Amino acid sequence: MSANKSSLKEAPMLEVKNLETAFDIDGTFYNAVDNVSFKVKPRQIVGVVGESGCGKSVMSLSVMQLLPKGIGKIKAGEIVFDGINLEKMTEAQINKIRGKDISMIFQEPMTSLNPVFTIGYQLEEVLFNHMKISKKEARQKSIALLKSVGISRPEKIVDEYPHQLSGGMRQRVMIAIAIACQPKLLIADEPTTALDVTVQAQILELLKSIQEVNDMSVILITHDLGVVAEMCDEVIVMYAGKIVERTDVETLFYNPKHPYTTLLLGAVPKMEQEEERLSSIQGIVPSLTNMLKVGCRFANRCPKAMPECLTTTPILAETDYGHEVACLLYETSKPREGVR
Amino acid sequence: MQIDTQKDTNISAAPPKKSLSPWAIARKKFVQNKLAMISFIFLVIVGIISFLAPYITTADITRVNIADMSLEPSSKHWLGTDKSGRDVFTRLIYGGRISLLVGLSCTIFVIFIGTLIGSVAGYFGGAVDNLLMRFTDFILNFPFLVFVIVINAIFFGKVSGLWVLIAVISFLYWGGIARIVRSKILAEKENEYITAAISIGCSPAKVIVKHLLPNVLSTIIVQATITFASMIVIESALSYLGFGVPQETPSWGNMLNSANEPDVLQYKLWIWMPPALIITMTILSINFIGEGLKDAFNPKSRR
Repeated sequence: MSANKSSLKEAPMLEVKNLETAFDIDGTFYNAVDNVSFKVKPRQIVGVVGESGCGKSVMSLSVMQLLPKGIGKIKAGEIVFDGINLEKMTEAQINKIRGKDISMIFQEPMTSLNPVFTIGYQLEEVLFNHMKISKKEARQKSIALLKSVGISRPEKIVDEYPHQLSGGMRQRVMIAIAIACQPKLLIADEPTTALDVTVQAQILELLKSIQEVNDMSVILITHDLGVVAEMCDEVIVMYAGKIVERTDVETLFYNPKHPYTTLLLGAVPKMEQEEERLSSIQGIVPSLTNMLKVGCRFANRCPKAMPECLTTTPILAETDYGHEVACLLYETSKPREGVR
Repeated sequence: MQIDTQKDTNISAAPPKKSLSPWAIARKKFVQNKLAMISFIFLVIVGIISFLAPYITTADITRVNIADMSLEPSSKHWLGTDKSGRDVFTRLIYGGRISLLVGLSCTIFVIFIGTLIGSVAGYFGGAVDNLLMRFTDFILNFPFLVFVIVINAIFFGKVSGLWVLIAVISFLYWGGIARIVRSKILAEKENEYITAAISIGCSPAKVIVKHLLPNVLSTIIVQATITFASMIVIESALSYLGFGVPQETPSWGNMLNSANEPDVLQYKLWIWMPPALIITMTILSINFIGEGLKDAFNPKSRR
């Protein structure tokens, strides 16, 4: 475990280029994720934040190729994982990668485990899927995995059914399943949203320690900025299917540039101030069907909106080193001549 | 009773060693359901007697004996003889073989085809779903009786009639099961554990067989019992009408056939009453079992 975080020259673990994921609504495909590009370096924890309905989960499902069949599809773009293009793979090929090199933790621990099988059975299943291993070894390994995610009495828990476990324990089991084959990339889709605060902290701590031990890259999807501050190296802020800001975690908190990020940070309740009302962002995220075709999608909720925001689409571009913003307040985001 | 109390004290002293699976819980509930258990035992007994028919009675089922025509029940012929002088009791237990065989094999085929088509359609959705479900509608639109009669007429005498009958009934009957399984799969696949299963690298076949089907199995089992009961009715009805099992083979339906003579219906109860009673009781007990299973699989029922 190298102490220094991923060096600049290292090839990215995951690179998403101009990803467009669309959903079929009454026969027309609408982009839920629109022209999104980002990189995740080895051993990096990247946070993805934004309100509900901003395309965070759809983005992660696209990476895993888990979009609902027949309704959602990847329209354009590339997803390069460890040098291989995921979006061109057949179902059989991707199945060799899912669970082994990339795995995922879901939001709802109460429903992510199959109610008719024991914990041990479900852990062994992922091992059998990807390893040549005997029944006995698999069982021993599952007990060890349960132990590694901080479950006491793992010998007993392996023979229990999901309904006998608490939410926090189930999420630990989900983590154990996700890390069973030591993946290179872990996608955690709001892993703590459904848990209470004390359990949240434990789960996050567990995730972080596992990330360090296993040298994984992690994409952490959340709408909790406190979680981001604690966990992440880099943060992607999404709004209405687009990335509006991308930077390292410190810059995000001390020098946010996009008005949306500023407002998001402002909506976090502060201990020292006594507020009658919590501040919030006016309005709601536009639905897929009535998204603005041109201009900035945040324009009608933005306190700093200018007339041109409704006519010109901002480009995600670097303002400072390592800090990308898509907002017309900054010269870099204005479309140049000859470029769309 | 004694064992029960002993068990209880054990439980209160220490938690049970092995945790109960949802299946074990259902089994326990089913065993506690008296009506369902009695029905189950009755059905098992009927099944065993029918299966062991050649060992229980030595009488020849097909031999016509004019001298013994329409005899009333006696010590020699327990349930009397029919119009051709054949022993009713012997025919009844041999008939059970055929009726249960037809019922059971039709049920197995129907459930198999229905589950296969329903789960594939439900899981994949889209064009696959559309294609399979339109095919199902097509099958469901066949006029059942007419089709059976026509097919029987075509194959009459060429292939063994029994298996033609089973094939025809199975072919025409799986549509309903396919629809039910599809709708259950549609609801079940929305659960996050299905996405989770795909995300650990399970192939579609594995997801359907290992993750979806066990979760809809309770519905399938209940449907199977209902199908089993209706299969016996269908066999009897078709045989009664003369379009079912070939006349020379005894089945419960064929035995009822003789009741279409007013003389038999009015004065020779022993000829048609036993098969009628056994059909009624078998169907009733199958339905009770189905009801018991439904209760057992329902987590909200406390019985």
